[in-house]
Amino acid sequence: MSFLTPLFFVALAGLAIPVLIHLIQREKKQVVRFPSLMFVQRIPYRSVRRRRIHNWLLLMVRMAALALIVAAFARPFLERDEVTAAAGEGAREVVVLLDRSYSLGYADRWERARAAAYDAINGLGGGDRGSVVLFDSGAEIALRSAAAGERQRLTAAVAAAGGPTAAATRYAPALKVAGSILAESPLPRREVILISDFQRAGWRGEEGAQLPAGTTVTPVPITTGGEVANAAVTGVSFARSTFSSQERVAVTAVVVNRGTRPLAGGQLALEIGGRAIQTERLEVDANSSTSITFAPVTLTAEPMRGTVRAGADALAADNVFHFVLTPAQPVRVLVLDRAGGGGNALYLMRALAIGEAPRFEAIVRPPAAVSDDDLRRVSAVLVNDVEVPAALGRRLQKFVEGGGGLFVVLGPRATWSAEVDVLPASLQAPVDRTRGDAARVGALEYTHPVFEPFRSPRSGDFAAARIYGYRAVTPTQDAQVLARFDGGAPALLERRIGTGRVLLWTSTLDLAWSDFPLKPVYLPFVHRAMRHLAAYSEPAPWLTVGQVLEASFGSGRAQPASGVVLTPSGRRVGVGVDEEGAEVLELAEQGFYELRNRAGDAVTAVVASNVDTAESDLTPMDPKEIVAAATRDDGGRAAASAAPPTPEAQERSQRLWWYLLCVGILLLAADTLISNRLSEA
Amino acid sequence: MSLMASHNPSAIPGARFMDPVVLARIGNLSLVARAVVDGFINGLHKAPYFGASVDFAEHRGYVPGDDVRRVDWRLWARTDRYYVKEYEAESNMNFSVLLDVSKSMDYGSIGITKLDYARMLTACLTNLVHHQRDRVGFVAFDSEVVEHVPPSAKHMETVLHVLDRLKAGRPGSLRAPLHKLAEHFGRRGVLVVISDFYEDPETVVDAVTPLRFRGNDLIVFHVLDPAELNFGFSNASAFEDLESGEQMPVVPEAMRKEYQSLVRAHIDALQQRFSEVRVDYTLLDTSQPLDHALFRFLTSREKRMRLR
Repeated sequence: MSFLTPLFFVALAGLAIPVLIHLIQREKKQVVRFPSLMFVQRIPYRSVRRRRIHNWLLLMVRMAALALIVAAFARPFLERDEVTAAAGEGAREVVVLLDRSYSLGYADRWERARAAAYDAINGLGGGDRGSVVLFDSGAEIALRSAAAGERQRLTAAVAAAGGPTAAATRYAPALKVAGSILAESPLPRREVILISDFQRAGWRGEEGAQLPAGTTVTPVPITTGGEVANAAVTGVSFARSTFSSQERVAVTAVVVNRGTRPLAGGQLALEIGGRAIQTERLEVDANSSTSITFAPVTLTAEPMRGTVRAGADALAADNVFHFVLTPAQPVRVLVLDRAGGGGNALYLMRALAIGEAPRFEAIVRPPAAVSDDDLRRVSAVLVNDVEVPAALGRRLQKFVEGGGGLFVVLGPRATWSAEVDVLPASLQAPVDRTRGDAARVGALEYTHPVFEPFRSPRSGDFAAARIYGYRAVTPTQDAQVLARFDGGAPALLERRIGTGRVLLWTSTLDLAWSDFPLKPVYLPFVHRAMRHLAAYSEPAPWLTVGQVLEASFGSGRAQPASGVVLTPSGRRVGVGVDEEGAEVLELAEQGFYELRNRAGDAVTAVVASNVDTAESDLTPMDPKEIVAAATRDDGGRAAASAAPPTPEAQERSQRLWWYLLCVGILLLAADTLISNRLSEA
Repeated sequence: MSLMASHNPSAIPGARFMDPVVLARIGNLSLVARAVVDGFINGLHKAPYFGASVDFAEHRGYVPGDDVRRVDWRLWARTDRYYVKEYEAESNMNFSVLLDVSKSMDYGSIGITKLDYARMLTACLTNLVHHQRDRVGFVAFDSEVVEHVPPSAKHMETVLHVLDRLKAGRPGSLRAPLHKLAEHFGRRGVLVVISDFYEDPETVVDAVTPLRFRGNDLIVFHVLDPAELNFGFSNASAFEDLESGEQMPVVPEAMRKEYQSLVRAHIDALQQRFSEVRVDYTLLDTSQPLDHALFRFLTSREKRMRLR
């Protein structure tokens, strides 16, 4: 209920007037001078309470009359949804949003959630329509806008939901789907019944999930009373080492106890390839975490499937964590240098020899000795100030177009055939900066992957390097200048050719034309450049449910692949980029996905899929927060329909003042009668 | 006839107390009263005791202490014995009004205070007595004697003058002033006490009775306002005692019946106790006409005289 002119309530202060008069009269009590109180004093004293009570009655009647009249002037009116709710007008469009995230697997929550959904379906009236939307991190319409007579279909849709999925909770997609269903509904009343355990982790603010105006949101919390105990394996980390020329990995698992009681006497097991190889005692304090490191495991050439299991509790899904152990893949680099002892690749080779993630394997060849096999084996080629014949140039161009990386370092000897269009710039004469100030490298393109690590302050000063000579170049149209010398001449350029990239450094990477190799930024610069050219990326040991499985996963090179995927539940799903178009697979299950070739006879990659550990935090939120955000500021209720009300309906909703005024006047009349009777008495 | 209607300011002090209509009605009553009431109408009453008068009564033997001037020397010459002559006492008597002027008398709920009423009553009685050539006196008292006019045939004007300037101002008590006056009124006469008697009946009778010890006839008027009799107040109020100034909250309608019964019991007790000591007691309501009060008084006196 609201008021058209609430300012009239100021007049309620007038209610104090009768009370004040009453009090003032009491203060200035009437004094009757009487000859003698001799007889009065002999009468037992009687307080004036009886009279007071009498007056209070009159006072209350008067005050009630005044209050009612003031309220009538304030023009109360019923909001439209109240009017319609009171009248019970119109059929409902009901959307049942049923949470099926894996947290519903806690204890008996899923059964209770389904029972609540059945109750909601059974509560549909004759003209109502109902929809069932199942949601976790996404939303799926199980049945859209079925008539109330089709209750069995609605019930079946809930029953077909099976059980909780492995995905996390996200409310926004579900509300958006519900909003779209309601927006298309012609029915006058709209309602969303949200059945969920209302995890705090599932709501990230408003997220633009707005329901149509007038929608009523009825939250049905499925929570577990009492203490909620849940432990989860939230992640693993790997420490790689080499022992006896064999790579070994020590797995460290992090276990979080989100309960209020310490977890004691549990066990944490490491399984490799499906076999438990080590079990550790697990003890975690309440609301804290611990990490347990297992003994190192020797890696094989094939990916190894690993699993960490932490005991058993009411929510089993987050007690298991899968991962894939693969041997570290080196980045193979072919360095073209002058034959004999005239090579200047000393600093480059030393730089490439350092580093574990990734490890670089450099092969040095004179230009004349480069074979096709060399080019096939490497992912990047570094041309260090050598003359490149046209034939080699064409092969390198092909190599780049095929996805390879080419790093061209210029110097006094570097020449390229004009027939080969692979460089990002045409080469000019050398510029001598030995006289006067040496050139400095500046104007770096920090957004580029090569320079991105040097972006923050004090993380590498390229200007410290003095450049005494460089080759003047004229960039091609499709080249990007990533760094310039202080005179504005390009220092580093990039050009994309096909799926590969070419980087051009216009000075030397040895001490011939600069002292750059002596500067701290030299080593990270070389590493970043080679990683960028080789398109190196760490293979993810696991993915999370909801992420998209790319077809190129595990292929090592960003090349499209196609094949079939065997899901953890054993289903075969086609995936990849083929002639029909792009096809991707969203991870929906917990476990190991196998990527196989088209024939299905060879495993090309194995992907571990884990549940979102944020979901294991069962801390509930106040459902009103979602209701308020989804229904704007109308507190879950708004007008029954977007159409403006008719004048008759408006008048009907505002008619209350008339009744209030009548009752107020009647009370005043009663007041007159009572006071008359009192004065007569 | 309203008492207030009789208020007619005049140059003559006390004239306003002698309402002509009231006096006219009293005059009619006096035809009956003259035959029965001693002292009110000249010539009708007998002298209550012997005294120095012109009418010889008898001789009596001289006893030491008698006034030697009253020795009949002629009889001594004849008999050689001392005799004193006794005469019929003179018929004119002393008439005094003892008026209570305590603060409680200054109360009136109907436009006339008890004191005003008592003043008119005093003036009427005094006037009536004066017409009989009797000596009139007046005493005003509260807790002590305030005004005193000795009885005299010439004091009519004085009494009226004193009455006119009387003011009630102090708390009163009966015992001290009345006991004092009882000693003062040595000569027998008629004493009229007018008061509201706000004391215990025993205390009142105890205070008043000594006035009779010297053989005075005592008439008591109990003056009360109708409000004091009926307690007809309606609003709950704080009641203030006129004399003590004490206040107390009172719900009149809640205690009216009890008050009325208490007042009635008080009046009954006074009536009974005064009757026992042979004192004429009359209750006067200030709402009643004054002549009516006098008539009731004279009627009661008549009854009493018949009994004698």
